[in-house]
Amino acid sequence: MDAKYAKTQELLFELKVADVMRDRVITVHPEQTMTELRTTLRDHRISGTPVIENGELLGMITIADLIAFLVSGEPEARIRDKMTASPQALTSDQLLVHAIKQFDRTRFGRFPVVAPQSRQLVGILTKGLIIEGVLRAMERVLKEEEVRQYRASHIFEDLVAEYKEIYLTYEVIGRDFERAGTASTQMKRNLKRLGIHPDIIHRLAIASYEAEMNTVIYTDGGVMEFRIAPEEIVMRVRDHGPGIPDVEKALEPGYSTAPDWVRELGFGAGMGIPNIKKCADKMSIESTPGVGTILSVRIFTGKEMEKDHDAA
Amino acid sequence: MTLHDVAQELGARVLTGTDQDLTSEVTSVAAGDLMSDILARVGRADILVTGLTTSQAIRTASVAGIRAVVIVRGKPVNEQMIELAREEGVVLMQTDLKLFETAGRLWTRGLRTGTGPT
Repeated sequence: MDAKYAKTQELLFELKVADVMRDRVITVHPEQTMTELRTTLRDHRISGTPVIENGELLGMITIADLIAFLVSGEPEARIRDKMTASPQALTSDQLLVHAIKQFDRTRFGRFPVVAPQSRQLVGILTKGLIIEGVLRAMERVLKEEEVRQYRASHIFEDLVAEYKEIYLTYEVIGRDFERAGTASTQMKRNLKRLGIHPDIIHRLAIASYEAEMNTVIYTDGGVMEFRIAPEEIVMRVRDHGPGIPDVEKALEPGYSTAPDWVRELGFGAGMGIPNIKKCADKMSIESTPGVGTILSVRIFTGKEMEKDHDAA
Repeated sequence: MTLHDVAQELGARVLTGTDQDLTSEVTSVAAGDLMSDILARVGRADILVTGLTTSQAIRTASVAGIRAVVIVRGKPVNEQMIELAREEGVVLMQTDLKLFETAGRLWTRGLRTGTGPT
């Protein structure tokens, strides 16, 4: 076959009959009557069924056999007398590709499936089940590929250099409440993509969001810079003013200079900067009234990570 | 309980979220209208119960890793908020119950504050 379909072939060659067959099978007993067979076929809307005794496959009986019986005019008959005895069967550990060849060769609509080295019925296989099974297997493979791709994005592990650092910046527009928070949610997605530890992402996302909201609510706008370095992530937020007159006071939980309408946005409780401090391993604020403020947050990601944060 | 159970318990309208999203299990709740309080709390939450009907409720949820937002008091939710919830993958619901009753009902169903360090 073509090398074009190599992947699909590989997949098909991995599948066994057992992976794809239905294991709950409607069956009939050889001593049952053809009338009972008719009811079974009708009630379950199937066109054929294996005939088993003590779990062992004795024969197959189909709608074609039923029609022949009805046409013959016989008053009644046992399934044993009308079935195809010792039918062709597949084994559960057979490769699916071989099963497909059987379907092609015989033009049967279904095959009973027996356990290896025995005649114990374990399932049934139809063309429809083959298609379903193959689609399911393809779905699984595609999903696994996706996961693997995402895991592979541990950029620091994959890139080779003496020193590696990623630098991302965002512009924050003052008083733009609709867009407020977009930098932080985007940043969070970036960090996930980079495979950063979820606890680090959580802390950084909160610090970033609070800082972004502060910039939107209180300032004329600013820039958020993120440096992802091997041992730490540094967030620096610089705004264009008006600056914080009393930084000491701003650090106090509950202290707020927010006008009332800010509270309607769910902010202005004076918790922003204390929240940032809680998330950061190191935080600093420099401000010049009339000029602007620089907020710096460092979160350690190296071996110092666990130790330092608890001590802070 | 699942998000589907939550919606049923609160008689809530589900505004965003697939059937599959609704099958996810939830155990913890954060409730309140002040987003800074929500962000300041120690511990994770699966659900945010709030009366705040601005984009910030969704962004707070997204940033704090909260999977579903329940808007209380039947407050109207605008298209922008719904669209944002969809983009951020946050399940958004709206109930007519007040915040107190919503929290109470979820408590009786076994949901709690959620522990664990930030």
